[in-house]
Amino acid sequence: MRIKTISRSVDEFTRERSQDLQRVFHNFDPSLRPMEKAVEYQRALTAAKLEKIFARPFVGAMDGHRDGISCMAKNPNYLKGIFSASMDGDIRLWDIATSRRTVCQFPGHLGAVRGLTVSTDGNVLVSCGTDCNVRLWSVPRPSLEDSDLSSEKSTEPSAVYTCKNALLAVDHQFEGDLFATAGAQLDIWNHNRSQPVQSFTSGSHSVISVRFNPGEPDILATSSGDNHISIYDIRMSSAARKILMRTKTNSIAWNPMEPMNFTAANEDGNCYSFDGRKNEEAKCVHKDHVSAVMDIDFSPTGREFVTGSYDRSVRIFPYNGGHSREIYHTKRMQRVFCVKYSSDATYVISGSDDTNLRLWKAKASEQLGVILPREQKKHEYNEAVKNRYKHLPEIKRIVRHRHLPKPIYKAKAESRAMNDAKRRKDDRRKAHSAPGTVVTESHRTRRIIKEVE
Amino acid sequence: MGGLKRKPSSSAKALAKSKKKKGPHLPNSILKVIANQKRPLNSDEEDDDDVIGSDDEHGGDLYEYEEGVPEEESRKNNRYDRHDNYDYELPDDFEDENVESEDDDDGGNSDNDEAEGDDDDDDDRHTRMLQSLTGMPSAAFEGESKSKPVLFTEAYPEGEFNPTRDVLEGKNVLTEEDFLAPLEGTPGYQKTSKQIARMRKDTKHVVHAPLPKPQRERLERKAVIGLVDEEFSKWVHLVKKNREAPTVYFNQDVDLGYSTVGAIASEFQPRTEFEKKMASVLNDSEVSMEDHIKDHNHIAKMRSLLFRHEFKSKRIKKIKSKTYHRLKNKDLKNSSLGALMDPEMAKEEAMRQEAKRVEERMTLKHRNTGKWAKRMISRGLNVKYDGPKAAIAEQLQMNANLSRKMNSMRDGSSSDESDDEEELNDGADEDTPSRLIAKAKEKTLKALEDDEVPNAGLMSLPFMKNEEANEEAKRALEEYEEWENSGGENSKKTVNVSGRRVFGATAKVEAPKESRKDSDNFYDDSDSDNDMAGIEDNNIEPVRDNASPARNTITETEKFDDDVAGNPASKTTFDVAMFASGSWKKMAGSKNTESKKASRKTRAPIPQAQDKKGWRDEESEDSESEAEQMVDGVLTSTSKETFEVPSQAELINRAFAGDDVLDEFEKDKEEVLNQEVPKPEKPVLVPGWGDWTNIQKKRGISKQMVQKHEAEKKEWEQGLKTRKDARLKHVIISEKVDKKAEKLHTTTLPFPFTSKEVFEHSMRMPIGPEFNPSTIVGELNRPEVVKKTGVIIKPVKFEEVNPNDEVDDEHPRNHQKQRPKKKTSRRQGKVKSK
Repeated sequence: MRIKTISRSVDEFTRERSQDLQRVFHNFDPSLRPMEKAVEYQRALTAAKLEKIFARPFVGAMDGHRDGISCMAKNPNYLKGIFSASMDGDIRLWDIATSRRTVCQFPGHLGAVRGLTVSTDGNVLVSCGTDCNVRLWSVPRPSLEDSDLSSEKSTEPSAVYTCKNALLAVDHQFEGDLFATAGAQLDIWNHNRSQPVQSFTSGSHSVISVRFNPGEPDILATSSGDNHISIYDIRMSSAARKILMRTKTNSIAWNPMEPMNFTAANEDGNCYSFDGRKNEEAKCVHKDHVSAVMDIDFSPTGREFVTGSYDRSVRIFPYNGGHSREIYHTKRMQRVFCVKYSSDATYVISGSDDTNLRLWKAKASEQLGVILPREQKKHEYNEAVKNRYKHLPEIKRIVRHRHLPKPIYKAKAESRAMNDAKRRKDDRRKAHSAPGTVVTESHRTRRIIKEVE
Repeated sequence: MGGLKRKPSSSAKALAKSKKKKGPHLPNSILKVIANQKRPLNSDEEDDDDVIGSDDEHGGDLYEYEEGVPEEESRKNNRYDRHDNYDYELPDDFEDENVESEDDDDGGNSDNDEAEGDDDDDDDRHTRMLQSLTGMPSAAFEGESKSKPVLFTEAYPEGEFNPTRDVLEGKNVLTEEDFLAPLEGTPGYQKTSKQIARMRKDTKHVVHAPLPKPQRERLERKAVIGLVDEEFSKWVHLVKKNREAPTVYFNQDVDLGYSTVGAIASEFQPRTEFEKKMASVLNDSEVSMEDHIKDHNHIAKMRSLLFRHEFKSKRIKKIKSKTYHRLKNKDLKNSSLGALMDPEMAKEEAMRQEAKRVEERMTLKHRNTGKWAKRMISRGLNVKYDGPKAAIAEQLQMNANLSRKMNSMRDGSSSDESDDEEELNDGADEDTPSRLIAKAKEKTLKALEDDEVPNAGLMSLPFMKNEEANEEAKRALEEYEEWENSGGENSKKTVNVSGRRVFGATAKVEAPKESRKDSDNFYDDSDSDNDMAGIEDNNIEPVRDNASPARNTITETEKFDDDVAGNPASKTTFDVAMFASGSWKKMAGSKNTESKKASRKTRAPIPQAQDKKGWRDEESEDSESEAEQMVDGVLTSTSKETFEVPSQAELINRAFAGDDVLDEFEKDKEEVLNQEVPKPEKPVLVPGWGDWTNIQKKRGISKQMVQKHEAEKKEWEQGLKTRKDARLKHVIISEKVDKKAEKLHTTTLPFPFTSKEVFEHSMRMPIGPEFNPSTIVGELNRPEVVKKTGVIIKPVKFEEVNPNDEVDDEHPRNHQKQRPKKKTSRRQGKVKSK
């Protein structure tokens, strides 16, 4: 005779502390739970809806500049500090965490400040502008008293270097003491020298943006007014690669986790991701903006980047996705000139023409503050379940849905109509001509004229 | 780009080539000598180079001529001495695009002409140059160098910008010798001429002009590209690894220090004497945790029991009532506890109980046998009034209680027996009848013994002696013995048992038996299960017959039955009978001759039984039962009735005689069709609808409705036709769409997936905590990027990655780095495993 008994060892069921959770045993036999897929689908649906409900990305605006914000810089060594400069020559340091106020001002520029950057150790701020000056400032150390004081400090520049031409951009080398300014030519400077260490000239057009590669500190990319994107190695005397595109590139961002890849924010409203080794075609075209993309910044995780556009919106794209996963806009936000992803990949900061800096969450529905482990698990589960069923129509619809400002919505519809018409025309042309004579160019190569040898 | 433009010149080239081949064919050495001699004299080939070289040196010329590789450098056929080339040398495969774009009208590409040889090249170029300068057709210059001189009249007067034809052709060009000739004989001449000769030989110190800027930049870029690409390429493996990793962790570099008490405690190291002592006791003691806990629990339990006991006794002691204590003591004496304590008392108690029960059974006092109860029942008062009804019910209940007690006591033994019975039956397959009989005997003996046990005490009372039952059992024993002796011959008195169930069983089986007799053919072919039932009848029937002679009427038997119900001994005998019958069944199954014999014998008394039952009409048939044979455990009468094996089809027909499957299926299909493609309703003329009153004549169904109906009908027919099972008569293919399940499907295959199976597989296993053990849930739900708010993420740092390594997801999940542990103690292990 067989006798079935339940035997449980006391050890397994004894809690070490009274706060410990009671141990629960489940039978995971799938036949006991026949509706698991339906259940998880429903959960995914709920998660998608909840995400929509909790999507409150706007954290706050920082007001203080008297003119449109032209550029920003984040302190690579200090999360709370962010520098911004405006068209009237005003540079400010903001505390974005607690008070969201100006901590310090850096007066001195006479014209618009066009470039701002901070050294990797966070001690030196470099600014340049249309007044042909490069100014170096020592960044005030963050301390407890600073946040208490309501008055804004102002500091003097530690060095002022003058050039012949107006400067349009500046960027600091990662973990080095060189920085590059862009203007009529590309100059490489040392902190301690009043003259550029090295200069690169190319063509008659000015260089409009420059960005150092975070992974490979000696490599930098520039874009110039003659629609070129160039990659330089500052140890060499000339550019390594040059891509000629149909439209101007306003800004470039290197992927911090993949040093060979960079993404260019283009005037035509698209972003183009390139592999630094193969430039004949873009690796990915990121489409969604309806107007020129003014600035771009990669998330430090390398999986996303944020763009600010002339169409008054900020978008977040996946690094390998054709369309944005998120759009941020407010009624009062004007043309966005600069965007930054915070160093912990949690926030996005945008500076716009309406003289305000805006702080956004990188993930619109993310719960801020301390999250308990169980909460964290729940969030993760929701995310995983949503991700798993994201292809199913209902969930896809809910997740994708965004409310767009009317101008953007209209412009999108218009551009879509135009594109459709063009495609139809191309299709017809193709259908009515001898096979092989009409070749439709892929989107990834269409806007690239050539790679300059 | 140059393709079209070059076409005319290529024909010219071909011509020049053919001309060239016509020249005298000389051995190489001679050619070399000639060439060397000619050199100073400006042969046509060298000439060009010189002129152009000088042009280059002057630099300022608008026209940049593409320099071909000199013959010395090209080293064709080893015609020339080797000499070092100090000029910048372009790689062979170098393509010169910029220049082409600059002077498109030039049309000549040095790089493309390499295959055709330098001589041709030079000629060609020369011709083209002439053509461009003079504006005359190329045919005019063709082959002029080799063929007879042609007279040309110069269009312009000779001058600085209009060189003569000789100059252009390279003839009569001034050389250093020409300039030196007048100086010959003067004092420094020798020296000068030597110097000039040396200079001509010395190619080392010749400084060539720098390359044009775009070309130079292109070269530089090319060099830089190589270096930069190399730099980028070294990252490839690392980037690939990061991309393919299921999760990337950006929270690893944060050291938050200790977070739990356990972590701190694990680092603790004993320093003082006392601490060391304690540590040694804790870590090295042999007492295991489990034992300790066990001891502890035991002690705690004992203590609590003691405490409670004490508490209780205190409370009781407090009670002052004397009557309470007296009653309590009495209770203690009378209670089962007291009885248990004292064996004498227990015996007494048992006796009393037993006597009560026996009395009840003897007198049947409470079975409505009393005068009053009889009266009540006879007059029907027990139905009419509640009082008597309740009283009678109470009596019955009492009776039941009193008699049930015994039953319950017997239950244990009977269940044991049933176990044994199982055992018996299990083992009965190979049992020979004799063995079975032996077993049955044993059983009976045991039962007798059981009965005899109480004989000493209570059961020794005269009325307690269940004489009849014992006698029966003894008789059964005797019979067993007889049986054993006679080898089962005397089966007439095989089992002398009576039992309720026997009656029940026979009553049940009697009807089929009859039918079997009627349609013998039919049953003969049926399954053996039925046969077994039949056999059982055969065996059991004589049993009853044998038991009955003692009491001739059925009523008597019934009475006896009631007794038997309360009698353990008779019950056991009944059980034994059952074994016996079972054994007979088995015996019948195994084709033992002995068993056959026995069965035939058992068959014999049937007529008697049937006489009693009044089945006389079949007597004649049964009298011939000797002819009947046992076929596969079934009694069949082969003598009279012919038996034909029916065909399979017939059998099936018979088996499914009742149901018309095809019709049913058709109905089902129609139902399904109606459900999935509903038939449109016919428009009906509803009275009062569509017309005013009775006055107006009815117009019938409106045209519109009819049209609509027709359209619907057509659609319906179409729908039926297009179904997958339209032509399959015996198949229903449901085309019903489950709307609730539909939302779980996509219309198209989503992007990253390449096949439907992969996509479906990706959603197959659930990931929730209800469906998975908690150890896996974390991994299943882990996001692609694990980061922590407030932790600065640094850009990627280069590290060597082996591309052949598998991607491992063995990253630690914990968010902080623990300091390396030096010593692992027992406690620590426990903390970690938690």
